Amino acid sequence: MWLGAATAAALIAAFLSIRPAHAAIHHAALVIQHAGGSVITRCVAFAEDQITGLQLVERSGVQYEAQDFGSIGSAMCQLDREPSTVPSGCFGSGPYWQYFHRQGGPWQTSAFGASSSLLRDGDMDGWRYAVGANQVPGNVAFASVCGARVPPAATATQVAHASNDATPVPTATPAPSTSVEALAPSDSPHPKAVLTSTGPPAQPPNSTALGPWLAFGSMAILLLTLGAVNLRRRGP
Amino acid sequence: MIRHPLAWGAWATAVLAAAFIDRNPFFQALLLLVMIDVVLAYRGRRRVGTWRFAVALALVPVLFSAALSRFGQHVLFTLPAIPIIGGRWTLDAVAFGASTGLALLLTVAAFAILQTAVRSADVVALLPRPLYRAGTTVALALAFAPKTLAAFQSIREARQLRGQRTGWRSAPALLMPLLLTTLERALQYGQSLDARGFGSGHRSRYRPLLWTAQDLLVLLASLAAIVAIAVLPGVPYNPYLELVPSVPNPDQWLAVGLLAVPALTASVLRVDHAAHHA
Repeated sequence: MWLGAATAAALIAAFLSIRPAHAAIHHAALVIQHAGGSVITRCVAFAEDQITGLQLVERSGVQYEAQDFGSIGSAMCQLDREPSTVPSGCFGSGPYWQYFHRQGGPWQTSAFGASSSLLRDGDMDGWRYAVGANQVPGNVAFASVCGARVPPAATATQVAHASNDATPVPTATPAPSTSVEALAPSDSPHPKAVLTSTGPPAQPPNSTALGPWLAFGSMAILLLTLGAVNLRRRGP
Repeated sequence: MIRHPLAWGAWATAVLAAAFIDRNPFFQALLLLVMIDVVLAYRGRRRVGTWRFAVALALVPVLFSAALSRFGQHVLFTLPAIPIIGGRWTLDAVAFGASTGLALLLTVAAFAILQTAVRSADVVALLPRPLYRAGTTVALALAFAPKTLAAFQSIREARQLRGQRTGWRSAPALLMPLLLTTLERALQYGQSLDARGFGSGHRSRYRPLLWTAQDLLVLLASLAAIVAIAVLPGVPYNPYLELVPSVPNPDQWLAVGLLAVPALTASVLRVDHAAHHA
């Protein structure tokens, strides 16, 4: 009985402790390379732990037309007005939008469509309109799109600074600040690159926090205790 | 004890919704613990065959997914170019199959618990008057198959005791006694229904089925679990995208906890019963 009460208390404490984690702001970068070589980048902030590639495009504000292909996800038929008209059957016979992911390393071809792929904080999605497979986008760093990451202690000051000096106008000059609102991409390969994100690039909370695991373990112990009680009461 | 079929029906619906909507392995593990708790609280005759069938059913998707899927990044081994099974066997495909298999195992467990906890007579008694005769007929028809199987096993065991063969070659010798037993049972059913005035019009109940506090509690908890599962869906688990699952949102565990109410009420009632006798 006492074990059950203690576990229930731990469960409640764990539930309460993990609530603030949902309020964290995460960032993902979007890189779009047109057939002519022009590149646009977007940094998208999101409160969820992860979003899909389609949500990233949608929240970036870039115009798009997608077609759903069931369990393998959506294909991109038109992105940023390219091609000028959506081909019949989405792909047409010439170039098409190729989809890539990047998590620190080089660009990797996506095995799934945009609505089935998931992005977390620091991930990048790349789109390139080209003919032939594996035409990866240009080598754009995450920091050049979303700004460098900073320790949580430094974030508060920089956010306050950003709220005063925020300007969405992109510049080609690297800025010392790391706030998303105040910092334009320093080495964006195309002058059309702009930031659409709001909110500071706060250090994401540790995803392996103890709270959810404590809650999970407490729930498991409660259920095991309940099973043991029922087993003992009934007898063989 | 919970007896009302509607309470059990709501609980089974909630379990099936949880098993098929959320495939997160952590969530499924907790759901499996809930099912074990309820099985322990309401276990009747040991049905080893049912659980063997459930485990076998759960292994089938694992085998099919591992053998037929070539997707995934965590390669276990690579077979040469053999038709159908050749190529990369991935851990991602095994995890996907295991997730599906566990959902099937939970489904079989839910129906096994229903079979143990709900009396078919209570279900038939719930039917409205116009459907009573049809419902009774369907209940008898559904009971016919397992009764016939049990008769087949009895005849087989009787032959084994006499030292006679029991393999497939002896099947023709089993058919005649099985047919006679089945006909005898059908006659008994007919006489039993006639003796109880089946189809005579007015229907009375010796033991009216009433809602108890436990029944209502399970019904409300199950409905709340269904709402929680529908309103607070978790991040869908797809091992092909990310093999290691994320820990589910605690809101979803609330639904799992609500599904354990039948086991909880059973344990509490037994405590009260023991205290009363002391």
